[in-house]
Amino acid sequence: MIKKALSFFLLLAMAAIAAAQKPTPTPTPAKTAPPAAPHTNLKVGDAAPDFTLRATDGKTYKLSDLKGKKNVVLAFYVLAFTGG
Amino acid sequence: MKAYQADIAKFEGTDTQIFGVSVDSVYANREFAKQIGVTFPLLSDFKRTVVKQYGIFNEEGGYGNRATFVIDKDGIIQHIKEGNEAIDPTSAEDACNILTHKKATQ
Repeated sequence: MIKKALSFFLLLAMAAIAAAQKPTPTPTPAKTAPPAAPHTNLKVGDAAPDFTLRATDGKTYKLSDLKGKKNVVLAFYVLAFTGG
Repeated sequence: MKAYQADIAKFEGTDTQIFGVSVDSVYANREFAKQIGVTFPLLSDFKRTVVKQYGIFNEEGGYGNRATFVIDKDGIIQHIKEGNEAIDPTSAEDACNILTHKKATQ
C-alpha cells in the first residue's frame, strides 16, 4: 500500500517536472519585426506612370515628353549621401 | 548611382535617358551629384508622389526603396529590378540594348 502511494507520488512529481520544463510559447515579436519592404505592383508590359519632377540640372522633366524619343531608365535610390 | 555614372556611355549608346530619382530636395541632390560626380539628372520626388505611383514607397522610413525601371519609347515598362539587385546597372543596360536592337531590326 505504501509502495503504491510512493509510486503515485513519484509519478506526480515527474509530471510536475515535465510540466515545468515545457517551454512557454514565446510571444510573437510583432512590434520589433521590420515591415516587409514594399514591392512594386507594376509589371513588365505596364504603362509607366507619368510624372513631372524637378531635376538637378534646373530643368523639369515630364516622362511622357520623352515618348517616341528615348528609352528611359529610372534608378530610384534611397537617399542622397548614401551608398549605391 | 556611381555604378550608373560609370556606365553612362553604355546607356548613351542605346539612346537612353537615365534619371536618378529620390525623395531628396533638388538642393540636396545637387550636392550629392557634385560629391559623387554624377552628370545625369537626379529628380526630386519631394512630395513622394512618384515613389507611391511606382509602388516602392517605404512608409516606415518615408522614402522610396531602391529600384530600377527601364521604360521603352512607347512608355511601356520593359524591365524591373528591386532592392539590392537594382544597384548593378548591367541588367538595365542589357534591357536597353535589347530595346535598341529591336527597334533597329523592325
